[in-house]
Amino acid sequence: MRERGLPSEVRRLAEPVTRLLDGAWQRMHWWIALMAASYALSGITVVKPDEVAVILRWGRLVGEVPALQEHGAGLLFAFPRPMDEVVRVPVKHVWEVTVNTLDSEGHPWDAYGSALDPVKQGYALTGDQNIVHVAMVARYRVRDAAEWAFQGPKAERVLLTEVTAAMVRSLGEMKVDQVLADGRKKLITTVTRRAQSGLDASHSGIELSSLELTRLGPPRALAPEFDAVQSAFIGAQTKQNEAQGFAQSVIPQAQAEADAAVQNARGTAEGDLASARGEAESFLVLNREYRRNPEVVRERLYRDAVDRAIAGAAEVQWIPPPVGGSYHGFRITVNPSDEPKEITDSISEGAPSSSPPAPLPLSAVGGETDE
Amino acid sequence: MVDAMRSQRSLRAIVGSLALAAILFQATAVVVREGHAVLITRFGRPLRAATESGLHWKLPWPVDQVTMLDMRRRVYETGLTEMLTRDKKNIIARTFVVWRIGNALTFIQAIGSSSGAEAKLDGLLTNAAIGTLGGHDLSALVSTNPADLQVDSIESELLSSTAPMALQNYGVAIEEIRIERLALPTENVAAVFEQMRAERRQFAAKYQAEGDQAASKIHSEADLEAARIRAKGAEETARIRGEAAAKVAKIYADAHRTDPELYRFTRSLDSLTKLVTGNTTLILRTDSEPFSLLQSQGHK
Repeated sequence: MRERGLPSEVRRLAEPVTRLLDGAWQRMHWWIALMAASYALSGITVVKPDEVAVILRWGRLVGEVPALQEHGAGLLFAFPRPMDEVVRVPVKHVWEVTVNTLDSEGHPWDAYGSALDPVKQGYALTGDQNIVHVAMVARYRVRDAAEWAFQGPKAERVLLTEVTAAMVRSLGEMKVDQVLADGRKKLITTVTRRAQSGLDASHSGIELSSLELTRLGPPRALAPEFDAVQSAFIGAQTKQNEAQGFAQSVIPQAQAEADAAVQNARGTAEGDLASARGEAESFLVLNREYRRNPEVVRERLYRDAVDRAIAGAAEVQWIPPPVGGSYHGFRITVNPSDEPKEITDSISEGAPSSSPPAPLPLSAVGGETDE
Repeated sequence: MVDAMRSQRSLRAIVGSLALAAILFQATAVVVREGHAVLITRFGRPLRAATESGLHWKLPWPVDQVTMLDMRRRVYETGLTEMLTRDKKNIIARTFVVWRIGNALTFIQAIGSSSGAEAKLDGLLTNAAIGTLGGHDLSALVSTNPADLQVDSIESELLSSTAPMALQNYGVAIEEIRIERLALPTENVAAVFEQMRAERRQFAAKYQAEGDQAASKIHSEADLEAARIRAKGAEETARIRGEAAAKVAKIYADAHRTDPELYRFTRSLDSLTKLVTGNTTLILRTDSEPFSLLQSQGHK
């Protein structure tokens, strides 16, 4: 209708195009219809299980809040371009970034010297102004797809700087010994917290899921001194452990000895008491018998004792009784090798032998004189 | 034939109008993608900045032209700069900023490209850092005493001294400034190394001495404890012995009190038999018991 009204020049100009279209339509109208249909459906997107997708309609994000913006796995119906654009974000994927901005590795040429070039060799200062090297591996994933895609800076770049800054700041408030000994866990926690708050502040839309220290130590040039401290520490621990071991053996040993002595004393006491009771009992029995028959008992006891003495003695010598009540120059030789022993008057005041239970009229010469 | 002609005509009409619409749309529509902005200029004169994402309109070329701007945040690290703290200590610091285009028009006019922005930011930040750190001691950045540390206030000081100027002059919105690196000038490192060495040696000696002291303390305490236990044992032993002796004495005394004379007699006999041992020579008078028995028999 409109073509009819067009000036003949325009019609002449459009002639080749209309001829081409007519020819194409006659020969390939099915193909054209198919292409048109596939264009109309080209906005339909498959969202994979580890992804979420957001739709930009005429460039503007559809949905006001993340929950409405993000579409989960499955088929997503959208209009074809240029009206809709589907942006898929792999939110479940965890990326890894090596952070070696504070490490000197890779510059061995003067890592052993006494100089560090801060441009080429990374390091950080601790709170007590010691130098340490740190290498880290940070893992992150996308938390807010829209923020990550349309607002935040490049994820790796911001992660690298935020983690480095957080590490520099956290090391700057700790002592080197704390850092190198038991403070690692605290350090990681603090750095992760600080880095995450920085990542949130810069609208990066990423979450630092883990931070791992692959190296944390003093400069190589100082390694021997640090090792010496370590071995001194271990040595001190060993000495203390040995002392503990000594204490753990010596105290129970003393306890055992004391217990044994006490037990022994108890045993002895029991024995002494038992024998005392026995002896007392036998004395009482004897006494009862003695009261009834004093002469006989006394005689028997005396004779038993004399028999035992004679039986137990090595040698028994008999001498005649003194004439007139005393000895004069009377000699006996107990052992030929010994000097003769003189019995003088002083030992001759024996009682008359007529009464049997008289005091013992004998003298004993100790064994040492035999040899 | 008439049908074919008619369908051909309507096809031509559809294709023609679609093509026309597409050309018109292309010439007048401006799609501002999320995270971007568009500056529309009319004959080279800035007309307006379309910062809202979505569909915007303009007049076709050559009347209106568009410049697309990436409004996403960017990170820029300054170079390592040596500076002096208030307590006259040399320190090398590097800061980084998170920035974005805050005013598209000013940005285009003053800078034009993002690399140009970073060159401008570098100077601004370095100056601010030198100024700000010059007003603080080194212990405000690096200290084991939490009361000394003022990193937060230094960073906000840096932000407040650069952000308004950057926005006004360059259209750059600085959102965050952080100190990223702190280092020492190369010539100071040797001194720090020496200090660290001395400190390590001191620590090694301290650990050694402490270990020795603790070990000998444990040792002597153990010895003392052992001695105490033994003494207690000895005391207990003595007590038991004493009590037993007292009881024994009482038992004997109770028994012997019944007949002291018999007791003396039996004790004498006991002494006699105990006195005579296997190497004793007994000298007896022939008129004493039991030999006297034979003698008296013989006399009779």
